[in-house]
Amino acid sequence: MPIKSASLTSPSGQRIAFAVALVLLLCVPLVIRDIYWLDLGITVLIWASLATAWNISAGFAGGLSLGHAAFFGVGAYTSSLLFLRLGITPWIGVFVGALLAGALGALLGVITFRLKGPFFVLATLAFGIVVHIVNVNWRDLTRGAAGLLLPFRGGPQNMLFPNLWAYWYTGLGLLVLTVGISIAIERSRLGYYLVALREDEDAARSLGVRVVRSKVVAAALSAALAACAGAVYATFIQYIDPDSTTQFELSVQIALVAIVGGMGTTLGPVLGAAIVIPLGEILRARVGGGPALVVYGFLLMVIVLAAPNGAIAGVRLIGRRLRRLMDSGRKADA
Amino acid sequence: MQLVLQIVANGLLIGGLYALLAVGLTLIFGVLRVVNFAHAEFMMLGMYGAYWLWAIFGLDPYVSVFLITPVIFLLGVAVDRVIIQRSIGKPDVTVVFATLGLSILLQNAALTLWQADIRSVSTFASGSVFVVGGVRLSVAMSVSFAAAMLFALGLWFFLTRTMYGKAIQAVAQNRRAAALMGIDVKRVYLFTYSVAVAAAGAMGVLVAPIFTIFPRVGQTHIVTIFVIVVLGGLGSVPGAVVAALLVGIIRAGAGFLLGTAWGELSYFAVFLLVLVVRPQGFFGRRGAEVYGG
Repeated sequence: MPIKSASLTSPSGQRIAFAVALVLLLCVPLVIRDIYWLDLGITVLIWASLATAWNISAGFAGGLSLGHAAFFGVGAYTSSLLFLRLGITPWIGVFVGALLAGALGALLGVITFRLKGPFFVLATLAFGIVVHIVNVNWRDLTRGAAGLLLPFRGGPQNMLFPNLWAYWYTGLGLLVLTVGISIAIERSRLGYYLVALREDEDAARSLGVRVVRSKVVAAALSAALAACAGAVYATFIQYIDPDSTTQFELSVQIALVAIVGGMGTTLGPVLGAAIVIPLGEILRARVGGGPALVVYGFLLMVIVLAAPNGAIAGVRLIGRRLRRLMDSGRKADA
Repeated sequence: MQLVLQIVANGLLIGGLYALLAVGLTLIFGVLRVVNFAHAEFMMLGMYGAYWLWAIFGLDPYVSVFLITPVIFLLGVAVDRVIIQRSIGKPDVTVVFATLGLSILLQNAALTLWQADIRSVSTFASGSVFVVGGVRLSVAMSVSFAAAMLFALGLWFFLTRTMYGKAIQAVAQNRRAAALMGIDVKRVYLFTYSVAVAAAGAMGVLVAPIFTIFPRVGQTHIVTIFVIVVLGGLGSVPGAVVAALLVGIIRAGAGFLLGTAWGELSYFAVFLLVLVVRPQGFFGRRGAEVYGG
């Protein structure tokens, strides 16, 4: 009798794979002692969370947003300002920022749910730019282009750590939270509603899918999670300004990371961050910022034209081939 | 009164420049159903072309415009063949991010080749003004304004009075039906895209004497162009011209009254409002915003 092996596609196999991945990620600071690589790893975790958040509204619901930096910025500024002005710990500030961004995301969702394709893209782009202009010019609140410096006060109770491994675990917690919510959505009724809407809105509506509510909930969750990433980023870098939080280029890069990895899947955006962020970092160090962005632009074009399902599709293909190879090997043994 | 006239005149001139970009962008959208995020990068290339021909050979931009525009037309042909035609009919993500990727690539190629230095071309037209009824008008701005209006008018005549123009309109209305009528749709795409980006390149050359030149110069304008194109109705050439002139005046007026930042904010707010309330814009066809095929 053949022994039933837990394959990677079965639910139990997936659970095992996630558990193994989590244990490996938990061990990273024990293995990697080099500050440079650990720092890069934390950046990857934050970007993976951010791209996962973008994917909830863009990949699942089909609303390609070019304004997500706005939510990232709202998260970063809310928690930092609460901490600086009122002494409220970022551990609480992160949730206040998420609530605020979630409300903004819901508002944007309500006013844009009818728009299709390029019109939706342009509306989110304009929204992002409005937030950026407000951020640059509302100097009394945000200090404008001068930015906010987070003083090293308090320590762990204020999400400010003296060592990198603590930031690694904060970033990992953020990623587990966003990926967890992403998986929960994918498997819930809402997830099926969103995919149905993305594929054929009229057909979904005629079958009783609540269009507005589903889209708005997705937009709000996506915005709230992007804000969480912003708050963690702020305590990690300890300096934020409009260019590093709400700029248009940032919105593009969020989309780029998710698209390169594979939008519409849970793990695609995480894979995208693991590819794009180190690649960008290495290129910047070796050949400079300009050429690094040339590669980004080229990569984006090639992926959307030649492999619109992203890198995750390639990984899955290799996985299938390997499994077939192993299966035939097993048959040969028997 | 004099001040109001001056502000309106400045706004109109700026609006004229925007019109040259906006007409091309709206034409590309109307015919190809592609939002060309890389549009202003062709303007940037035109500016650098004008700069280098001026700096190395001492050519005046008003001469070099006749050399650079054909080159950018050919570049448009290549881009259409390699990138645009491959993205047509694909999902939204391909259509949007292919040109966005091209925009990032061109900007940073310029940054890599020519550094972030701010360059400028100074010719007889750079600082000179002439006075009409007490209103001071920049010579260079007036020249590019006239060129923009001539181009828009010529394009309009071409689209409405010639057979090939009518073929382009037919493709814009229904690409399948047009193909069935024997129109070479791919040729129409190629022609439309190349002419539109060549116009953007020509504008870059014409404004070189007055605007500073740097790799990200396109980006400072592209969003304003999007605002104009949506206000005028994506796909509508007369709409783009009217909206461009309006936005120019609003920008100059609001900038004077409220300061640059709040002026900008005001027209973005209008933009969002129009997108939400009337996505087909003021001149656009009804239903253009839902028609994806």
